[in-house]
Amino acid sequence: MSLYSIAWKYIWGRLLASALTALSVALGVSLILATFLLTRGIRASFIVGATDYSLLVGAKSNPTQLVLGTIFRMDVATPNMPYSVYEQLHDDVRVERAVPVALGDAYQGFRYVGTTIDYFAAAPWRRKTFAVAVGRLWDETPPEQPTYEALLGAEVAQRTGLRLGDAFYEGEEMAEYPLTVVGILRPTYSADDRTIFFSLASFWGMNEVARNAAVKPLTTVLVRPKRLSDLPNLHREFNVNPETQAVLPSAVLLTIFNLLSVAEEVLRFVLEAVVLVVLLYLFVALYSAMLERRREIATMRALGARRLTVLLIVLLEACFIALLGGLAGLVGGHGMAALGAHLLSQRGGLALAPFTVSALQPLLLAGVTLLGGCAGLLPAVLAYRTEVAENLAPLS
Amino acid sequence: MSRVVYALSCCLGLAVCTLLAYGDEVSRLTFAQLVDSIRANLELTQKIQSYNGKEVEIQGFIIPAGPPDLSFFLLSRVSAIGNYCCELPTGQDETVYVFTAKGVKLFYDPLRVYKVRGRFDAGIRHDAAYGVSLFRLHQAQVEEAVGAKVMKSEGNAATAPGR
Repeated sequence: MSLYSIAWKYIWGRLLASALTALSVALGVSLILATFLLTRGIRASFIVGATDYSLLVGAKSNPTQLVLGTIFRMDVATPNMPYSVYEQLHDDVRVERAVPVALGDAYQGFRYVGTTIDYFAAAPWRRKTFAVAVGRLWDETPPEQPTYEALLGAEVAQRTGLRLGDAFYEGEEMAEYPLTVVGILRPTYSADDRTIFFSLASFWGMNEVARNAAVKPLTTVLVRPKRLSDLPNLHREFNVNPETQAVLPSAVLLTIFNLLSVAEEVLRFVLEAVVLVVLLYLFVALYSAMLERRREIATMRALGARRLTVLLIVLLEACFIALLGGLAGLVGGHGMAALGAHLLSQRGGLALAPFTVSALQPLLLAGVTLLGGCAGLLPAVLAYRTEVAENLAPLS
Repeated sequence: MSRVVYALSCCLGLAVCTLLAYGDEVSRLTFAQLVDSIRANLELTQKIQSYNGKEVEIQGFIIPAGPPDLSFFLLSRVSAIGNYCCELPTGQDETVYVFTAKGVKLFYDPLRVYKVRGRFDAGIRHDAAYGVSLFRLHQAQVEEAVGAKVMKSEGNAATAPGR
């Protein structure tokens, strides 16, 4: 009988105790993996979902609110500013592209965004690409001739069940201005998948105040300068203006990352404590098992088993339990991450990939097995030092 | 015998120290030098162009003009987030386009001076993704510049950080 099968029989012989020990290892591994996948996923989804525009110009308010509202559709919209701000930026020789954005209400929780078709236009500096899966973009019309044509993000179409030609509205006051689906976008894996787009003319037409207002409202202008070195000057000009603010979206996201990294540090300490507790539990379980088996070990030794053989069996048992717990932990960790990702997607609008497999998983499994072996080292040494004569004495 | 071993150890130690000292020696460029190097039609002096392809270090503020992973950013003499209380923002002449080496991690602080070290590249370049640039640093490593001074001294329009 090989050492592996003896170690396996030892585990099988104390099935409940071994299963509970493996479960504690699995819980520890699950926590570590889920925490890592979620924290890394949040950061990655912010980076992937970030805009390619270098500057956002909006009304005076909180910069974070402007970025989260405009780019990630997470927060309430910032106050309105006049449409003339867009015209000013559009005519500025330093600006390559300016795109107006008006944030509105929502349909079944999916945000209305009024903009121009420039929002979807490709450029060499854009990482994000938009493509219409079915249908078309809306027809741009003057403000007095709104078409109420809507373009749906991929997730909106999937979750609401809206199809081409469907008319929809939410709220009594909107019944007179139903939107008609003219197109559905391909997934972009960003907040745009959860957005209902239409023209600014439609946006203003749906709004009772904006409909008749001489100065049309706007939430944000996305700006890309021709020369990035002009960015500080543009930033300053719109910040010293008493009505507007200019924000570098990446600067705001980096500030959020800084806050996240503080939370990650705290989590790291908690996880280190979890690892310690799990290792301690594994050690206690193996130690008590070894004490129970002193007579068996002495018998094995009397029958010719070498000290080293006994040591290896206990070490293998520890490694097996850690390995089983580790494998179960990987499954559990991905499950917990998937649950967390679903909640974040529902509430925060972040698109995470909880089943990403990288070098982390094999490293984690190898690390857990190794640490399991370390936890079993002392019980193994005690088994190694078990005296035959002492432990084979009659029990009475 | 022991004297020979001792002498050899000393020589080896000296050689290692020399190598380390030489390896650490990187030309330091200031924004004042960058501004001074510009001639008519954005032509650059031979002196500044002699640094092309060489490892240099420049200190300044980070302006996150690219993606939030800071794989690309602008390095400027003036901070972009400090509400410009003291100085007007800089232009093309005092802006370096920085492309960081893969995996560079840093704690971004808009009001902190950073020491950026990378392969220098000077001259007008038109890039579809990044537009027109004059000074660039490639494969850059970034770290906080402890104790750097960025105050502009009176009468000197282009005093560089750290001076």
